[in-house]
Order: sequence, then structure tokens, then C-alpha cells
Amino acid sequence: MAESTKDKIKYRILKTLDVSGFTAFDPVIRLIFGEEPQKQFAAIVKYLVIPAFFVLSCIWFWSWIGPRHKTKSGEVPTPDIVWESVQINDTIAEREKVKRSDFQLKGAEREAALEQVAREYEILSEEVKAAKALVAEKEAEKKAREEKLIAPLEAKYESLKSEYRDAAKARDAEIARISEEVSEGKLEASALIAAIRNDGIATDRERSELNSYKSRIDEIRSQKYKPLDQARKQYDSVADKQFFMKTRLEFLDDRNLYVKLDEAQSELNEYMAELSTAGSAKDALKIAKRAVRAEESVARLEGQEYASAVTIYHQTKRSIFTVFVGFFMAAFVAIPVGIMCGLNKIFMACMTPIISVFKPVSPVVWLLIFQIVVGAFFPDPENHALLNFLNNLPLISSLEINPALIFSACTVAMCAVWPALVNTALGVASIDQDHVNVARVLRLGFWSRLFKIVIPSALPLVFAGLRISLGVGWMVLIAAEALSSSDGLGKFVWDEYQNGSSLTFANIIMVCFVVGIIGFFLDRMMIILQRFVSFDGGGTSV
Amino acid sequence: MIEDRYVELFEVVKAYPNPFGEAIKVVDGFNLMVKQGELVSVIGHSGCGKSTVLNMVAGLIPISSGGVIVAGREVTGPGPDRAVVFQAPCLLPWLTCYGNVMLGVKQVFPDASKAERQQMVEYSLCAVGLKDSMHKYPKEMSGGMQQRVGIARAIALRPKMLLLDEPFGRLDSLTRMELQEVILNILNFEKITTMMITHDPDEAVYMSDRICMMTNGPGAKVGEVMDIEFERPRDREEIMETSQFYEYRRRLLQFLDDCEKEKIARKKAKVG
Repeated sequence: MAESTKDKIKYRILKTLDVSGFTAFDPVIRLIFGEEPQKQFAAIVKYLVIPAFFVLSCIWFWSWIGPRHKTKSGEVPTPDIVWESVQINDTIAEREKVKRSDFQLKGAEREAALEQVAREYEILSEEVKAAKALVAEKEAEKKAREEKLIAPLEAKYESLKSEYRDAAKARDAEIARISEEVSEGKLEASALIAAIRNDGIATDRERSELNSYKSRIDEIRSQKYKPLDQARKQYDSVADKQFFMKTRLEFLDDRNLYVKLDEAQSELNEYMAELSTAGSAKDALKIAKRAVRAEESVARLEGQEYASAVTIYHQTKRSIFTVFVGFFMAAFVAIPVGIMCGLNKIFMACMTPIISVFKPVSPVVWLLIFQIVVGAFFPDPENHALLNFLNNLPLISSLEINPALIFSACTVAMCAVWPALVNTALGVASIDQDHVNVARVLRLGFWSRLFKIVIPSALPLVFAGLRISLGVGWMVLIAAEALSSSDGLGKFVWDEYQNGSSLTFANIIMVCFVVGIIGFFLDRMMIILQRFVSFDGGGTSV
Repeated sequence: MIEDRYVELFEVVKAYPNPFGEAIKVVDGFNLMVKQGELVSVIGHSGCGKSTVLNMVAGLIPISSGGVIVAGREVTGPGPDRAVVFQAPCLLPWLTCYGNVMLGVKQVFPDASKAERQQMVEYSLCAVGLKDSMHKYPKEMSGGMQQRVGIARAIALRPKMLLLDEPFGRLDSLTRMELQEVILNILNFEKITTMMITHDPDEAVYMSDRICMMTNGPGAKVGEVMDIEFERPRDREEIMETSQFYEYRRRLLQFLDDCEKEKIARKKAKVG
């Protein structure tokens, strides 16, 4: 009995792997359950270990070739630098969260937090001082080491320089003499030409000699000194933390929502008190005006939220949201139109030219068109009813839906609509003749034929099309976001490219992986859906 | 009177145009009358147009000239009064057996109550021996079981006529015998007028009341009609022991053999 439940669990896991397309892990599960270990080991080596080794060797190759290619934005970042930038982005997001909660703290909690942060700030300040001293020390050390190496070279350089200067002077004198003799007719003109030419050659040689020394010195200077780099890194990290604590202090004190509110409120109260004791009508008017202004500022502060800096998580969330908006728009159009195409040859003939012409159009062109056409519906985005409505919905309000998002979503929809449409049409048109005969014998009406025979039999192909659509949409989205500056991963890379900070390159490569991994999961999701609707039980390609 | 001419095929012609615009008559002047409750087999060489005749009776393909009358009404298109069991089971793979049968029942008996419909579906599935696999999907069943569902789907419609298009053609011989019994049992109860296409002489003799032998196409027609005078219900073993069975079988094979010889002669004449 125990055996059978164990088997049941095993087959359930295997089935899950199969449905989600992770069949490569099949032998691992079988091995865990002790099924033919020899065979499973062989399978694991063949389909897991060797591929893993291949991937690792690709990463190794990357880290080897990266630093060997110098670009305008510095070296190509190695995998560890990219990983570091992942951590930095994570830290930024984490800190934004802390700042937000600081901003909203009030009362005793705020004071306690303030006290603690102040203490931490003090400690960090000490650490920063120490780190700074260490950097200075290491810098001196580096300088001393360099001097030792450079001093002989420099001496040699100087001596050569003076030597060459003398030589040049001597040659000049010689040329002057020869020219005089030539003018007097004692010598031929060719002698003067030869002298001048020789002087040029000698000067060039001397200069290159000097330059080689100079470049050797420069090379020594530019050589990295590991302890100094480490000290600098240490200093940077501590200074960064200190700066963060300083910002926290601000958010807990001056820039805190409730502190600001209290201030505004007390100001208002003050004016009110003054108003009741005002001497003249003129004074009263002045004070009353101030009081009204103070009242307004209290009201404004009450509605204020923390203005968070955009984090990679926010951008990712927004990108995923946008791609789904576009994808559902595409599916909403593609499935009915595709069904009509599949059912009616005339309709198909009407649609074919439209599909063929618009399918290959670049997303960039679509984006521009949508910015103009759809943009016309949002003359005043701040007060647009639809946008206000969407931004007040509970789950998506944090995404700050704006026209740029809608343009990007429309672009995604426009590019994603074709594969779904074509596949749906194909699925409907290629319905099994046997099934059609069944419908004819039963004299099914149009709608029941559609819903009971046509759509179910087309469903696997429809989902295959939707899967391609989602993949295309996700690819298009990044470009659309970059171009329309709709917050998202596309804008993130574009901003990085424009900013040109030291992390730019690493961040761009990080986004490359983020986009790839999310795309992978979206695809897997569609594979699973496709498997659920496919009655033939056939596998889906990866 | 109507009992004797329950189904009537009168000078039925099926012609297809060839690329040069000439009409090629696949079936040319097919005449047959079927009594109510009778099981008539149509036998002939493959490609002679047996299935074409059946499809015309079913209304799945248009009749070029002549006419088919079923229970006093001329056939103009497909309909559930002439239920078809196809050679392939043709089940909808996204529905269970129950769903497949229910699809037709719902369509044909729209006024029946839910319980009545359920009873009809369950009855017909039980009749083909699928009581325990009602809620299985087609892909979970063997070919023979799937074909049983096909039969259940046909009889659940309470048709005036049952059309069997080589229903056992794709099954192994053991399963075939089982399914022959299934159909005969049902017909013993229900007395549905049946037309069966087959190319197996044993099957034809064992199952039919009459066998309609078709000549080779193109221009196929009824060559000979043979009455089979065994009592019903029939017992396979008993019948197989009679000399009558072998006589019928011999006549059948003789006819098919003659057809083949004639065809070869025709070919030779054409070449010569």
C-alpha cells in the first residue's frame, strides 16, 4: 500500500514536470524514488550535467573575454560585476521601501526610529573617517611603490632629454654652418638637403625614444594596486550607507509627513489665534489670507505620498502589466477575427492583404502612429476620466497608468495580434472533416457547431498562436517602452544608456537577463495552458 | 406497403467531373429497396463506390440524379433520422463518451427533460457494453471501445435508419466479432432498418437479411441481391456449421471473382 502511494506521488511529480516542460529533471525524480539508478545517472549526466557544464563554460568564456574588450563605456562587465549590479538594484529597492516607511512614521515610533538612525549614523560616520584614512594610507603606499619603480626611469628620461636637446642644438649649428658654406658656394646644395633630412630623422627617433620611457612610466602609474582598490571599495560602501542614513534622518525629521503636517497645523493655529486678537480690519484681512493659505497647505500635505524613485522591481511589474494589457487586447481581436477567417473563405480573402501588409511593419512605426492617433484621445492626461478611473483601482493604482503605457500596450497588441490571428484561422480552417460530418448528421446549428465543434477543435492551435503572440509582445514591449519612455524595463535600459554611470553597462546586461528570464516564464505559462487545452495530449515544443 | 419499401434507392447516380469537363459516373443507376427492420449489406471490391452510395443515403454528398427515399421522405441532406457509424470512430476528443453521445441527444430531443436525456444516453452506452467507461475520454480507450461509442451515439438518436460504413474495418478480428454481436443484439431489440457497407463476406452473410452485391466501378450498380434465410436471433457457431452458410459464401465470392475478371478483361480491351 505504501508502495503505491509512493508511486502515485512520483507519477504526479513526473506529470507536473511533463506539463510544465521541465522533462529534463525527470531522471532526478526517478532517482530520488530509486528507480533504476544506473539508467537515471546516465540520463542525468547526458541531459543535465553536460548542459550545465556547457552553460558554465559559456559564463567562463564571457568573464574571460569581457575585460579584453575596451569600449567607450569601459570594459565589458564580467558576470560578477553584473551580479553586483543586481545586488545594488536590490539594495536601492530595499532602501526605497525603508524611506517610504520612514516618511509615514509618526509619534513615538518616529522618535524611536530617529534616535536609532542617528546613533547608527554616528557609528557610520566614524567608520567613514576610518575608511577615508585607510584610503589615504593606501594611496600613499601606492605612490611610494610607484616612485621606487618610476624614479630610475624618470632619471633616465631626464638625462636622455637633456642629451637629446644638446644633440639637437649641435645639429642645428651644423646645419647653419653648412647653409652658410652653401651660400658661399663652397658646398653643393644637396649637402644642405641631406643635413636637414638627417636632422628630421634623428629628431623623430629621439622623440619616440623619449615617448617610450614616458609610456612606461604612465603604465606603472596606471597599474592597479589591489589594497587601494579594496580600501576605496570599502570606503564607497560605508559612505553609501552613511549617506542613506542621512537621508533616513531627513525623512524621519524635516521631510517626514507628520512632522510637516504638525508644522503646517501649528502655523494655522497660530494664525487663528492671531486673527481673534487682530487690532485692525487691515491686519485681520492679512492674517486671514495667510490662514487660508496655511489651510490649503495642510490639505495638500494630507494627500501627499512618498515620491519613490523608480526601482527595477517597479519597472518589471509595470512591464509585465503592460505586456498583458497588450496581449489581451491582441487576443480580444485576434480570436474572433481568426475564427471568422477560418469559417469564411471570402472573409479570409478580404483579410489576407491586410494581414500580409501590416504583419511585417516594425513596432517602432506602430508606436509613432499610436502616439499620434491614440494620443488624440488624451489631450489632458492629468484629468482624463479613464486614466483617473484606472489609477484609482486598488491593485494597479501603484503602476501609474499614463498615455505612454497605453501607447506601448497598443504597440504590443498590434505586433502580437498577427500570430494569434493566423493560427486561429488555421485551426478553424483545418478542422477534421470527420467532425464536420458528425455536426452535419446531427444538424447542429451555426452557434452550437461553432462552440461545440469548431472552437474546441481549434483550441490547441489558438493557444499555440497566443503563445507566439505573447513572446512577440514581450520582445516588442521593451523597444516600445524605450521609445515612448513608458516606465518599464525598456525605459530602464534606455535611461541607463543615456546616464552613463559606472554601472550602466552592467545594468543593461542585467536587464538583458531579467527580460530573458521573464520571457521564459511567460512562455512556460503559455505552454502549460496549451497543454491543458490540447486533447491530443501531444507534447509542445520548447 | 410502406413497410416493404421503407427505404428506396431509385436509379441513383453519382457523377464527378474530370478535369476535361466530362462527367465520370462512379455509381450509375443503383436500385435497391429495403424493408422496414431489415439489415441489408452492400458488398463489393474496394473503390467500387459502396461508401459513395451510403454517403448519398446519409445525405453527406449530393446525389447527381435519381433519388433516395427513407420512410416516405426524399433525402436532401444529412439528418439525425439516418444515423451514421463511420469507419473511424469520429469521436470528439475533448468530450467524454457520455458527452459525445449527449451532444447528439441534446440536439435531437431538445424538449426532453434532463433526466430523460440522461437516461437515453446511459441506456445506449449500456447497450454497447460501456457502462463502466462512460466518463472516459476517447484517447483513454481502445479502438474497439471507441467504435462502441460511435454505435451508441448513432442508436441514441433513435434513427429511422442506421448506416454503417465499414464499421469494423479498422478493428482486429476478435474485436470485430464482439462488435458484430453488439450490433446484432441491439438490432434484435430495436429493429432499426440498417444498411451496412462491408467487404468481408463472412460478416455479410452472418449479419444480413439480404446482401446487395455491387459491380466494379466506374458505373457501378447492383449486380445481384441475395436473400439470407437464417432465423434471428442468430448464433454464430450454429450458422457456421450449416452448409447453407458456405453456399452463400461461395456465391458471394464467385460474384466478386467474376467482377474482378471482368475488370481485368475491360482493362485489357482498353489497352488493346
